[in-house]
Amino acid sequence: MTLSRRTFLAAGTAAAAAGLTGCGSVSSLGGKNELSMWTWVGSVNDDLIGQAEKGIPGYDGMKLAMTRIGSNYKTKVLTALAGKSLVPDIVAINDDVATYFPNADQFHDLNELGAKDLQKDFLPWKWNWGITPQGKMMAYPMDTGPTALFYRTDVFTKAGIDIDPAAVAGLAPDWDALIALGRKLKQAVPGSSITDNITGIYGSRMAQLPKKYMTRDGQYIGDQDHVRQAFDLAVRVVKEGLSANAQNSSDKNAVVTNGKLVAYNSAVWWAQLGPKNAAPKTKGLWRVTAAPGGAGNKGGSFLAITKYCKNPKAAFAFISWLESAKNQAQAFLDPVLFPSTPASYTDPKLSAPDPFFGGQKIVDVFADSAKKYPGAYFSPYDSIIDTPISSELVNIEAAGKNPDQAWADAQRQIQRELSRAGAI
Amino acid sequence: MAVTSKALPTTISATATQDKPPNKFRQALPQYTAVAPFFILFAIFGAFPVLFSIWISFHSWDGIGQMKWVGLEQYHYLLTDATFWKTIANTLIIWVLSTVPMLLLALVIANALHNATRFRTFYRIAYFIPNVTSVVAITLVFGSIFSNNFGLLNAFLKSVGVGQVEWLTSPWGIKIAIATIVTWRWVGYNAIIYLAGLQAISQDVYEAARVDGASSRQTFWRITVPMMRPVILFTAVTSTIGGLQIFTESRVLFGDTSNIGGPGDAGLTIVSYLYQSAFIKNQFGYGAAVGWALFILIVLFSIVNWRLIGGTDDERLTRRAARRVERRIAAQNAKKEAVDVH
Repeated sequence: MTLSRRTFLAAGTAAAAAGLTGCGSVSSLGGKNELSMWTWVGSVNDDLIGQAEKGIPGYDGMKLAMTRIGSNYKTKVLTALAGKSLVPDIVAINDDVATYFPNADQFHDLNELGAKDLQKDFLPWKWNWGITPQGKMMAYPMDTGPTALFYRTDVFTKAGIDIDPAAVAGLAPDWDALIALGRKLKQAVPGSSITDNITGIYGSRMAQLPKKYMTRDGQYIGDQDHVRQAFDLAVRVVKEGLSANAQNSSDKNAVVTNGKLVAYNSAVWWAQLGPKNAAPKTKGLWRVTAAPGGAGNKGGSFLAITKYCKNPKAAFAFISWLESAKNQAQAFLDPVLFPSTPASYTDPKLSAPDPFFGGQKIVDVFADSAKKYPGAYFSPYDSIIDTPISSELVNIEAAGKNPDQAWADAQRQIQRELSRAGAI
Repeated sequence: MAVTSKALPTTISATATQDKPPNKFRQALPQYTAVAPFFILFAIFGAFPVLFSIWISFHSWDGIGQMKWVGLEQYHYLLTDATFWKTIANTLIIWVLSTVPMLLLALVIANALHNATRFRTFYRIAYFIPNVTSVVAITLVFGSIFSNNFGLLNAFLKSVGVGQVEWLTSPWGIKIAIATIVTWRWVGYNAIIYLAGLQAISQDVYEAARVDGASSRQTFWRITVPMMRPVILFTAVTSTIGGLQIFTESRVLFGDTSNIGGPGDAGLTIVSYLYQSAFIKNQFGYGAAVGWALFILIVLFSIVNWRLIGGTDDERLTRRAARRVERRIAAQNAKKEAVDVH
């Protein structure tokens, strides 16, 4: 065919038409023998992904094609799902997994793919977080975020406090005791704090409770005593002068670097994000022990198979392989993801002594926290509820707002937003 | 298209053809085809999203599931939403704090650049560089400058004995910090535009002024500024549109996803609120409604700007001239009356 003007234009029109209809069809992303997966940076182990990119174990001829989404991860996932076209086969989901529950029909029920048989390998509360109130297994556990008390031995020594982890755990079994300890530390070393800011305490306390903001049957309980007590505890720490008032990330790093933050109740990932990155010079000075007030969990993520997936069986084979106890132990070494499979906790990869923590086997502390955590129900509306409370807490610390007024304002805002969202 | 080129002629020629004038559409078809790509792309990527956002703003939608028609509910909620009004106040305060000093400073810089004799290109590039630097990088740097406890600025203030200012937690501190970043980033850009305007003014006018014995200050206020009015109007309107859409600065300064406006939402701008509603809380309908409220606001402010600074030269001159003539006539009349009375 010679290229005349007419054939050129006709070919162009045909191509445009094909492109437009392509947009309209329901499809999943990637080639026929490729399972596409979206995740964010630092959520999986590169070696394992590299293996799966050559071939998915047990499914010859199927390969994995993973994309690390930079910023706005959730928005991109929602956009892909809303477009119903070029949707990835597998998506990673953060600890806000419950916000996807109203749209659980977009995902496969993993129990139908054989998840039920693997349940015994996982922490029960973590497993339950991936199950919708209707009983559908929507998301498969990846890592968890058990909490513990991090503390600086040099400051503790100056204050004349025994630095042995077991002794510290005995000295501060609850938050009252920790505040008393904080006062003592502040006397010995002025400026010492036990949290970076007010929401740090509130978040840590809420992470220990067996219930959060809503019940499984959709009742709002965020105005009840357990929340108010966490709120008051956070206010008290600030009034005692034990908060560093560091509201943004550079200040948060600074209080770690300059040694003002001497004890902090946070999740396992903070070891890396906090002291190891911000204050490498404090190597050997940190220890970890059981948190005052009990075991808790902050963060952790999931994997889900979208309903557009071209081969759900292969996708499930892949995620169950990736999240096996052995491979989760592998992932603890590289992006420091704490396994959701108790069998990993005795793996030599995890139980090696950590020189940053003075040779302490920190996994024991976190494994204990992960196993003891009572587990709370996360509702689809938790982020709507949490935002006003957190920002009112910041108002108390940063602007000196009256706590009762702040609490009332937060509750009013929550009622308004929940009724609009149709939750109450 | 194959259809139009083949089917059309046969049907036409079958009926009455020969003496009919040639089909205008067919004649213009090549031209239409040539410009079509733009309109097709514009329809898909320009017009459709705009129309779709109007459509979404009448719905309640979480991004994936069914869209639920709620009529004007989102707008009703918007008008009674204290946070929304707060974001408008925040945005306007930041806008005034940044735009006024920015444009004044730009005019001064442009004047200096205009009169500079050495290293002109160097200075022009130097002033323009902030504008082409990544706003995220800039904001990170400013974040460590303004940082409350350990920032450079507070360290300096403490060293001279003034004490520290809570730049990133107090309501005014936050706004000043954001306004400073905006000013720093856009002052060079506006200065370059002013410089272009300055160079377009004929030297004859200045020479005439010099002959008449005008001082340099008089020349600046009586000649430069009035002659620059169209350029000033342009920068005022673009700064208004930009200023009402401030987003990145507060977003990066307060990196948390849950509280992107900083303590007390003092740095929460309209666009941050839109972003927070749509992309953090997944209330796309409400986000779209906020977007349209912002659109209306920008239109209003552009009109106000136009009225304050703009209008066509002719109109304004004739209006002023007419007023002057009226005043003179009135004065003469008054004088005449006074004479008549006596």
